[in-house]
Amino acid sequence: MTEYIIETNQLTKSFSGAPALRGLDLRVPKGSVFGFLGRNGAGKTTTIKTLIGLLRSDSGTAQVFGIQVTDADRSIEVRRRIGFVTEDKELYPYMTVEQIIRFTRPLFPKWRDDLERRYLQMFELPPKRKIPDLSKGMRSKLMLLLAISRGAELLILDEPTDGLDPAATEDVLRELIDIAASEGTTMFFSSHQLAEVEFIADHIGIIDQGKMIASGSLDEMKAQYQRLQVVFADSVRTPERWVEGVENVRQSGRVVSILVSHNVDAIVEQAQSLPGATVERFPVTLKEIFLEHVRSS
Amino acid sequence: MLWYKGWLETRFRLLFVFSFYVVSLLAMSLVKPPQSSPFARLNPQEQLKAFLGFGFAIYPVAMASLMLAAAGITTQSSFQQTKGLAGSTLFTLSLPVSRLRLLAIRALLGWLQTAAFIGASCLLMWLALPQVRSAVKPEEMAVYAFTLVFCSSGIYAIPMLLATFLDDLGRMLGSVPVFAALWWILRHTPLPASMDLFRAMGESSPLVARAMPWMAMAFSISLAAVLFFLALKIVQRREY
Repeated sequence: MTEYIIETNQLTKSFSGAPALRGLDLRVPKGSVFGFLGRNGAGKTTTIKTLIGLLRSDSGTAQVFGIQVTDADRSIEVRRRIGFVTEDKELYPYMTVEQIIRFTRPLFPKWRDDLERRYLQMFELPPKRKIPDLSKGMRSKLMLLLAISRGAELLILDEPTDGLDPAATEDVLRELIDIAASEGTTMFFSSHQLAEVEFIADHIGIIDQGKMIASGSLDEMKAQYQRLQVVFADSVRTPERWVEGVENVRQSGRVVSILVSHNVDAIVEQAQSLPGATVERFPVTLKEIFLEHVRSS
Repeated sequence: MLWYKGWLETRFRLLFVFSFYVVSLLAMSLVKPPQSSPFARLNPQEQLKAFLGFGFAIYPVAMASLMLAAAGITTQSSFQQTKGLAGSTLFTLSLPVSRLRLLAIRALLGWLQTAAFIGASCLLMWLALPQVRSAVKPEEMAVYAFTLVFCSSGIYAIPMLLATFLDDLGRMLGSVPVFAALWWILRHTPLPASMDLFRAMGESSPLVARAMPWMAMAFSISLAAVLFFLALKIVQRREY
């Protein structure tokens, strides 16, 4: 049976009457790298803040490590076991890199000095430099160092690579994969960079208008979806009604592109039966899956 | 380490308040009132009374309270809030620390800094001002400082409460009318004069009245406790 590190059931949250979460059901398996996707304002940050205990849900339940995060006292235990990178990467402007590490270290009993040293060196963070004098990319790296060195069982990362240049992004993503693999740390991260998510995530969840509209293993999801490209020898002739499973059909000249979510073989058969049609199958990208779900939602 | 964070956050405020006080004190010690002024015609005890009544004690206390208590748990967020961001508050609240502990340490640190400031300023006042030195013994000054620390607690707690829901500038500006309202209530309502913590720092202080203003001290501490409790409830209920 799958063990879930994060589990929410019918979680709702409104701000001044405007719903931000509408019955969110989220399940993050232990040891997974879970990409949390959604458009701006979909409810990603609200979900993350609720999990950390910064926001109180209106109804429903939210558990992290099996602990109810709505219980203020118990949510301290949750925060002791997680590493968190905030979206805005804001840290204390009156501290240096060295001071904020010294400040954070004693609050986490499982602090990893080896990881602290490693990332201080790898990220080339100058210990004596004041935080406002760091670039946004450097602040992102510092936040990652502070999150990773906690010896956390769960990393919650809100746009972790925001502000990083492509080379640094690549380094950080590889490190995250390495940590997940070597330490067994569960990672729950939100990002707008779908290519990044595809690069490191093994599970994804897509949230839209406060509801989870798709969730599961990325491999399974990608195996489930396919794109069919139907090229017609002369004029395009499409059936009046496609077999169930066709999510989206686009035409460009004599080429018809079909996004299929299931019943692939039956749809291929139907396409091949069309006069003058040649059918080819292509794997889909995460971007296509994401856009399809968000548009149909 | 929360003490360390609080200290880093407020040390320049403390330095600013103290520097401002030293400059004011120097100015006062250098400027001699003209012989013909009503002040110069008073005897030393009456001069002291006028001095304290003028608000010499209240002014640094209020200033220290404003600057130090105003550094609430969301300190350093006001600039970011104008940009629609939460500042470093999210990082603070994501730490495995209860909001009670965050607020209590922050409030206690500010109170201790205010107390240290009051102690140092009383010492400086005694050293720098001949009219005070001639009228007051060192031990009397120590008792006066002790009184000020307790009487200022209620004043200190006002910006501490406002810091739970106003930004840095708002909490400082907002405290002034509340101070004024408290002063008016204590002077113009049928409450016993012995509860007047402002008077207890001035004309009814042990330096002038030769008696400890226990009632005012108790009232001030009680007020601080109530305001702290309210601040705690706000911080615990507030969403960030």
